[in-house]
Amino acid sequence: MSNFIDIQEISRSYSDIKAVDNFSLSVSSGEIMALVGPDGAGKTTLMRALCNLIALDQGKITIDGLSVEKEFEQIKPMLGYMPQQFSLYPDLSVQENLEFYAGIFDVTGSAFEKRAEELYGFSNLKPFRKRRALDLSGGMKQKLALSCALMHDPKVLLLDEPTTGVDPLSRRQFWEILLNLKKAGVTILVSTPNMDEVARADRACFIFKGKKLTEGKPDELPNLFEGQLFYLDTEPTSSIVRELNSIKGLTARRFGAGMHLCLGQDDSIEAYSARLEKLALPKSQIRPIKPGLEDCFIQLMERQL
Amino acid sequence: MRQALFGLIRKEFIQVFRDRNMLRLIFLMPIIQLLLFGYVVNIDVKDIDLDVYDFDRSSESRELVQATSANNYFTPHDTVIALRNLEDNFQNSSSDMAIIIPHDFSEKLMRKESPTIALISDGSNANSTAIGTGYMAQIVQSFTKGYYWVEPPLKIRFDVLYNPEAESVYYMVPGIVATLLTMITVMLTSMAIVREREVGTLEQLLVTPIKGRVLLIGKLIPFAILGLLEIVIALTAGVLWFQVPFVGSPILLFALAGLYLITPLGIGLFFSNVTSTQQQAMFFAWFFSVFAILTSGFFTPISNMPMWMQYITYLNPMRYFMEIVRAIMMKGATLPDLTFQVGVLIFYGISIFSLSALRFSKRTA
Repeated sequence: MSNFIDIQEISRSYSDIKAVDNFSLSVSSGEIMALVGPDGAGKTTLMRALCNLIALDQGKITIDGLSVEKEFEQIKPMLGYMPQQFSLYPDLSVQENLEFYAGIFDVTGSAFEKRAEELYGFSNLKPFRKRRALDLSGGMKQKLALSCALMHDPKVLLLDEPTTGVDPLSRRQFWEILLNLKKAGVTILVSTPNMDEVARADRACFIFKGKKLTEGKPDELPNLFEGQLFYLDTEPTSSIVRELNSIKGLTARRFGAGMHLCLGQDDSIEAYSARLEKLALPKSQIRPIKPGLEDCFIQLMERQL
Repeated sequence: MRQALFGLIRKEFIQVFRDRNMLRLIFLMPIIQLLLFGYVVNIDVKDIDLDVYDFDRSSESRELVQATSANNYFTPHDTVIALRNLEDNFQNSSSDMAIIIPHDFSEKLMRKESPTIALISDGSNANSTAIGTGYMAQIVQSFTKGYYWVEPPLKIRFDVLYNPEAESVYYMVPGIVATLLTMITVMLTSMAIVREREVGTLEQLLVTPIKGRVLLIGKLIPFAILGLLEIVIALTAGVLWFQVPFVGSPILLFALAGLYLITPLGIGLFFSNVTSTQQQAMFFAWFFSVFAILTSGFFTPISNMPMWMQYITYLNPMRYFMEIVRAIMMKGATLPDLTFQVGVLIFYGISIFSLSALRFSKRTA
C-alpha cells in the first residue's frame, strides 16, 4: 500500500493563529481515513490545502506522487472534493446540477446517462431529479453534492464534514456509500466532529489546534488511554463536576446522561470511596468501563491545553 | 472543453430565466425606461410664458409681440402692470421670460437707428431659457429685416440638422440603448460572479479540471448576449412605438455594441474581484452607472459642462458609445466617421478587460 496522499510537515497561519501547525499525515491507497477534531481544529484548512485553495507557509503535500502546489492541474482529474458548505447551484434542479458537473468533467452523451444512473442508484435521488437543490433535505443535499463530486469517477475523495447537519439515518446511508466506494478502490479522506462515525473508517487521525494528536485504527486508538475509567450513574450537574475535579487524582467529565471518572493507572477507586459517598455517590453507582475513542481524544486534547 | 463552456453558458441562462425578478429586470427595464424617458423627460420647448412690458404702445411694437406668438413657441401675456411685478411673476412661475420694449422703440426704428429691447429670462430652468432665447433672437431678427431696406450686414440662420423638430425622444432612445447595455452588463456580470463566490460554487469549480479562461468566458458570454438582447428590445420599442428614425446601419451598430461590451464586462468583472457579497457588487455597479450616465452626455450636453468636468468625461467609456449610437441612428454615420470613438473603445476594452481578467485568474489560481 503506497502513500496515496502524503502530507509532510505543513503549517498555515491566519494572522497570529496557527490553523495547521507542523502537520503530517499519510493516507494509503484505497483506505478511508477519518480526520477527527472539534470545530476550529484545522480540519477545513487542511482540506483546503489539499485542494490547493490556500497556500502553505511551509511543508508540502503530494497526491499520487504529484505536488499539490506545482502539479495540481494533473491531480484535478482524479480528485473529488466536497466542501463543508453546500456548494451546488441552489436554483438548479438535481438533474441540472449533475448535467452541469458532467459538462465540466467532460462526461458526455451515453457515458453521462450511464454514470447518472449509477449515481442515482446509490443516492436514491432519482424521484427528486426535477427538484431544485434548494428544496432538498440536508441528507439529500449531501448525497447530491457527493454525486457531483463522483461524476468523473475520481480516485481520491476529500470530504469536509459531509455528515454535519444530516440526520442519523441519512448519515448511516452516507457511510454505506463511502464503504462501497472504498471497495471500488477509492481513497477517502473524510473529516468529522462525530466520534461515532470514526469506527467505520480504516484509520483515524485526531487533530486539535492545528496539531496532530495521534493516528491509528479506530479499535486500537482507545488503547492509548492512560489510567482507569469509571462510569458514574448520576446527573452531571456543574457543582458535582466541580467538586469531583477538586479532588486530587480524579478527573471527571460529563458523558451523556452520566459522567466519566478517570484516575491514574496505579491508583485505586477504593481510596476515594469515602469522599465519593460524601457526594452522594455510593459504590453501586460507580462501575469500571473500557475507554472509548472520545475518552482517548479528550485525554490527548487536554494534554495539549 | 467545448462541453464545459457550453455547460457553463447553459447553466447561466437557466439561472437567469428561473429568477422571476431577474427576468422582469431584463425585459421590462428597457420598456419602462423608454416610456419614462420618452414621455416624462421632454426637453422640447413650447409655450414659453412671455410677459410683455410694452412702453412704446405703437403698431410696430404690437407687431413684434404678434410675431412672438407664431409657431406656439411663446405665449405672450400683454401686461399693463408696473415693471416691478416682473420678478414676482418669475417667482410664482407665471412667466418664464419677459420682454421690455422701450418707449422710443418705433421712433428709432423709423429713423433706422438700432433700438434696444430687453429680454429677461428665468435662469432656474436653464435648458428652456437657452432654447427660448434662441427662438427669440430668430424672431426679432426676421422682424427687424422688414424695417431696413438693405439686408442687415450680419445674417444669422438657425438650422437644426438631423432632428429638425428637436424631438427629445429621438435623442433619448440612443441614450437609453447605451445606458441599458452598460447597466445590465456591469450589474449582472459582477453579481453573477460574486454569487458563485458567496455560494462556494466558484471554489468548487477551481478544484475541477476546467480552465480559468473557459470559466471566465463561460461567465461573460451569457451577459454579453443578454446585453445585446436589451438593445434589440429598446430599439424595437423605440422605432415601433416612438417612431424614432434609424438612419444608419443596424449591423454596424450591433458590431460596435459588441466591441463596446468588452469594457462593461471588464468593469463588472473588476467589481466582482473587489467585492465579496452581491450587495456590495450591486452598489459598486450602481455608483458606476450614475457616474457613467451623468458624464455621458445623456441628459446634459458635455459641451455645457465646466472644462475640468469635460476632461473627466473622457474617462467614461459610455460617453464614446453614446456618441456612436447617436451618430449611427440619427446621422447615418459609417465606420470611418467613428474612427476616434472606436479607437478609444478598443483601447479601453483591451486595457480594462485584461487587467480584470488577470486579477480574476490570480484570485482564482
